Order: sequence, then structure tokens, then C-alpha cells
Amino acid sequence: MEHDIVIVGLNHVTAPVAVREQVALADDALADANRRLRAIHGIDEAAIVSTCNRVELVTCAHDGDGAVERVRQFMQTHLAKQPLDIAPYLYTHRGRQAVRHLFRVASSLDSMVVGEPQILGQLKDFYARAVEVGVTGAVLNRCFHKAFSVAKRIRTETEIASRAVSVSSAAVELATKIFDRLQDKTALLIGAGKMGELAARHLMAGGVGDMMVTNRTFDHAVELAREFKATPVPFDHFPRYLHLADIVIGSTAATSFILTPPLIQEALRERKGRPMFCIDLSVPRNFDPRVNELDNVYVYDIDDLGGVAEDNRDARAREAEKAERIVEEEVETFLRWLSHLDVVPTIVALRDKAEAIRRGELEKTLRQLKDVSPREREALESLTAAIVNKILHAPIACLKRQDRETGTFDLDAIRRLFRLEESGDA
Amino acid sequence: MDVFFLGLSLPFYLTAAVSLVVYVTVARDRPRRIALTFLSIALVLHGLAIGLRAAAVGTVVVNSVHDELSLLAWLIVAAYLALQVRYRLGVVGALVSPLAFLLTLSAYLVHSGTESLPSNLRNAWLPAHVAPAFLGYAIFAVAFCISLIYLLQERRLKSRRRGGVLQGLPSLETLDELNYRVVAWGFALFTMGIITGSLLAKVTWGAFWTWEPKQILSVLAWLLYAVLLQTRSIGWRGRRAARLTIAGFALLVISFLGLNLLFPGRHGGTFG
Repeated sequence: MEHDIVIVGLNHVTAPVAVREQVALADDALADANRRLRAIHGIDEAAIVSTCNRVELVTCAHDGDGAVERVRQFMQTHLAKQPLDIAPYLYTHRGRQAVRHLFRVASSLDSMVVGEPQILGQLKDFYARAVEVGVTGAVLNRCFHKAFSVAKRIRTETEIASRAVSVSSAAVELATKIFDRLQDKTALLIGAGKMGELAARHLMAGGVGDMMVTNRTFDHAVELAREFKATPVPFDHFPRYLHLADIVIGSTAATSFILTPPLIQEALRERKGRPMFCIDLSVPRNFDPRVNELDNVYVYDIDDLGGVAEDNRDARAREAEKAERIVEEEVETFLRWLSHLDVVPTIVALRDKAEAIRRGELEKTLRQLKDVSPREREALESLTAAIVNKILHAPIACLKRQDRETGTFDLDAIRRLFRLEESGDA
Repeated sequence: MDVFFLGLSLPFYLTAAVSLVVYVTVARDRPRRIALTFLSIALVLHGLAIGLRAAAVGTVVVNSVHDELSLLAWLIVAAYLALQVRYRLGVVGALVSPLAFLLTLSAYLVHSGTESLPSNLRNAWLPAHVAPAFLGYAIFAVAFCISLIYLLQERRLKSRRRGGVLQGLPSLETLDELNYRVVAWGFALFTMGIITGSLLAKVTWGAFWTWEPKQILSVLAWLLYAVLLQTRSIGWRGRRAARLTIAGFALLVISFLGLNLLFPGRHGGTFG
């Protein structure tokens, strides 16, 4: 019997969102789909993963090509909602490739934003849902758990997830380099430019406690303030509020500097020198670069932030290489385990182990008994051999029967009961 | 015997220092934990060495360069480890532990036998002066390390150079507030040391103040730290505070080492 892990799926690389949304499974349809997938001929185990960026049918099959074809067919007929040919968007991974794929997905190496942390949780949820309806088995259980531990190992051993890779998240990262905590900090958003709004959103998500919004058109400020639960401030009066802001985001269409050294100096005096982080996201720039020369003020324009983000992307790419090496290593370990699940090597290992024990014990006894005649020796040989054969008869028969049926539980159990990993592999 | 334990502590100091430098470069937690264990072991061994010497004379011993260096190194490590309980600052340790290693190594190299103290110094004021003064020095040394890191991080953030920001460093605000608190502790102890010191001077030499270079420099450093603590409310924080911390410590180093070697007076070895 063969245990082939087969993954059929599509993701954000192979399929546009218009296709992905056709195939994505509704929450209440998941249990049923899992059962149907498992019921396909040649499929021993199944687990469906369906997020907004990917749909993956993870299976353990024993009928090679036929099973693959039937799973692809299943995806077309049961998951695609309208007459849409999804074949061109599908990928199929088998064996080593499939294991590697699952490990990479869990470790967020296959994500749209490499290193994003959500995918692991999603994968765990979908796996739990499959377990709930009883469609997984020894192979997929082990494979998923291994995938989770690989993801965890990569998280701790590489820095793949710890860097900000967009301009907005770089702004948040820098804010945490300047400030100890963001909860008691206030941000002032000047202007209603897209970049500024995005940065403000990231900062709020990053924990910034309070926000003020100002704009030349006061109505826009009010509108934006409502969205952020912020305080709108009239544009002409914003310098009066400047000293309250720990973080200032500039995003206006102004062609002259709206933040100048004297203005900031005045604010700093009122703030008693507490640091200010000024983020200038407009082109042409809104903040006079000379502001950066003041003590305790840090001015970053869009290029500076872009530079930080790019550095982080480079660093992340380097970390991803490290992560890929870890994946390869773990795929190897998993496949070694999987290959043991084949019946023939297990029987051989079981026999070898028993034979080694028999031989060892026999020698020991013979050494103690002096003057053993060749005939007596022969009798002892056949006696011990008979005992071993009788004991092994039942488990081996069980394994051979297993070969014809499906399922791998007993095989795994026997390997563990007789500790075949330790002695049999060498 | 004491020098044996002192020597034994050296490899532990060195390992801790190396681990913490590794910690800063790779930003993993394991080297930090290893370093803290080694540092604690070094502290115990080194403490034993100091205790044995003190037991031989019967009081705190600071009448040789060896004893001064040794006690200072020990207190610096103790202060850092105490701080470490509340703040996880491996980066500060990456400066503190090499410093402690070098001080202990110097102490080891200039090791000398214990001399008995002149009888006029055998009073309760001596430990009452030495203990807070040295602990004050040690805490200022830790503050000095914190300030160096502040300036490093500050310069990197200011320059906006690509690849400029060091990942593992704490935020400027954290460092600045920590520096303030540490200096405040050091200041309190140092003040006590100066007061008990002048009382000791009165008892042994008959005058509170004798215009000794050590006294003058110590009071100057005290004033600098006082300015630092007082001006925070008018906005002298951040870089300026870090620079004042470093300047104050520089004065202390000059008074501590320079005067011992260049102008040996009552504070430096001879105790007339």
C-alpha cells in the first residue's frame, strides 16, 4: 500500500480573486464537503482549507493518478459555483512536493505577504474542523501537526515575521523605536491624503491611543475624524494643538512647508522636550527638513520610510531563505516517517528486531552452559526460533491484512509498540 | 585564597560578556539567558573573593587599587542584575558585562596582599562612607552604559540612514526614563556617600572638607547629576540628559582612577 499525500488547490498566485471567491467554501458547507471529499474512491484521509487567499484540498490517497483526477473533478463539480472552468487555475502537488507545500503554507512562506501571522491560525482551524468530522487519519494528522511545529520553529529561529515591509508599517515600527508604548500617545493627522490616512490607520491598529485630524476643508476633517473616532481640529488653529501630538503625520497638497522649526520649537517647549515623531508623507514635502535638526524631534519623509521598508524586505527575503532550508529539513524527516508506514519494511524491521533479540539471548545462554553438544545446540536454536515465529505470527498477519485494506493506524502502532524506529532503521 | 575565587569568576564574566554581545547581534533570547546565569555565578564567586578579604581584615577593604576595582566591578554587576529583574535589557548588559570583566581582570592583575588599616580609620564611618559611595559609582556606571546606548540609538534614528535602526534596541523613551530613574538612585546613594565621607573626614582628620582633588571632583560630578535631575522638568531630557550622564561619569572616572595613579592623596592607597 502506498500513502500518497495529494494536494489540489488554487491560491492568490494562480487564481484571481474573481475565481477564488467562486470556489471558496461557505462555513456551513465545510463539514459536508470534507465528508464528500473523504468518500471519493481512493481517498483515505481529507482536510479542506479555504481562506480568502487559497482553497486547498489536502488528502491522503492510495490510488495515485486516478485519485488525483477525481479530486480535481470534485473541486470543479462541488466547489466551483457557476459554470466556470477552474482547471487552468489549479495546481496539484504530490508526495514530497505536497508535504513541502503544506509546510510552506503553514509557515507563511506561500502567503501574499510573506511572514504574515494569520495563516497558521486559519490552518489550525480548518484542520480542527476536518478532525471534528473524522475524515483525517494517521498520515494527515501527523502531517498537519508537523506543519504547525515547522511554522513555530521558523517563527522562533528566523526573523521572517518581525519586520515591517510597507511604508505605513515602517512608520509604526519606527514609532515603537522612539516611544516605549503607543497607548498613551496622541497622533495628529494633517491633511486627508491617501498615504496619510493609511499611516494613521496603521498607527491606530498599532495601539496609538488618541488621534486629532485637521484639514483645510473642515468638513473633510470632521468626516475623517468620525471614522477614526478622532478629534477634528480647524486647520488655522492646528499649531495650537501641536504640542499635544507625539506623532505628526503630514499628508496635504500644500506646496510650502506647514511645519517649520519655530513652530515645532514652540510645541517642544510646551511639551517639556518630550520627543516628537514627524511623518511627512506628501510630495512636495510638508515638513521643513531642518526640523530634524532640533533635539528630540525625528522627521521621516516618504523616501526614508520607503528605505526602511525596503531594508526590511531585503532582510525578510534573507530570512525566507533560512526558512526554506528548515522546511526542506523537516520534509525529509516527515517523509522518512511516512516511508516506515509501508507494510513490507515494517515486517522486515519487526523480523530483524526479533531475530536480533533471539540471537543475542541465545548466545548469552550458550556461553553460560558449558559442554553443549551440537545436537543440543540445534534443539535450542529451533526452540527459540519457533517461539519468536509464534509470537510474531499474529502481528505480521495483521499487517499483511492491512496491506489489502486501507488505514495505517495499526502499522503506526506496531512500529511504536516494538520501537522499530530505534533499532530497525540503522 | 581570595584571588583563587576572583580568577575563577573571570571565565564566567567573559562568557557572559560574549553571550550578551551575541544576543545583541542575533536578537535571540537564549544567549541572554545563558549570560544571566553565568553572570550570576560570577557574582557569587567574586563575592566570595571580596568576603574572604574583608574577613581577613575585619572591615570593608578599599585601601588598594585592587580592592577598589574589584568591589566596583562586583557592585556594577550586582546593580545590573537587580535592574534586569524588572527590565529586560540585554543590550545594557552587553556593555556592562565586558566592563565588569575588564575591571575584574585589572583587579586580578594588580592583586596585592591585604594591609591592615590605620587605627584612626577603624570606625563605623568607614563602611558607612565606602558602601554608599561605591554603590553610587556602580549605579552611575550602569547609567553611563544606558546613556551610551541611548546616544547610539538616537543617532541612528536621526540620521535616517538605510539599515540604520538596530532591531534589538529598546525605544528611546524606555532608555531615557530608565536612565533618569537609575541616575536618581545613584544620586541618592552618592549623596549619602559624600555626607558620611565628610563626617568620616571630621572624625579622622578633624575637618569636614580638606580641598582634596578627589573631594572637589566628586562634588563637581554631584552638581552635574543634580543639574541633570532638576532640569528634566524644563525639558532637558533625551540626548542632553544622556550627555550629562556621560560627563558626570567621566568626572568620576578621572577622580577614581586618575587621582589614584597621578596624585595619590588620602583617598588613593596611602590613607595618611
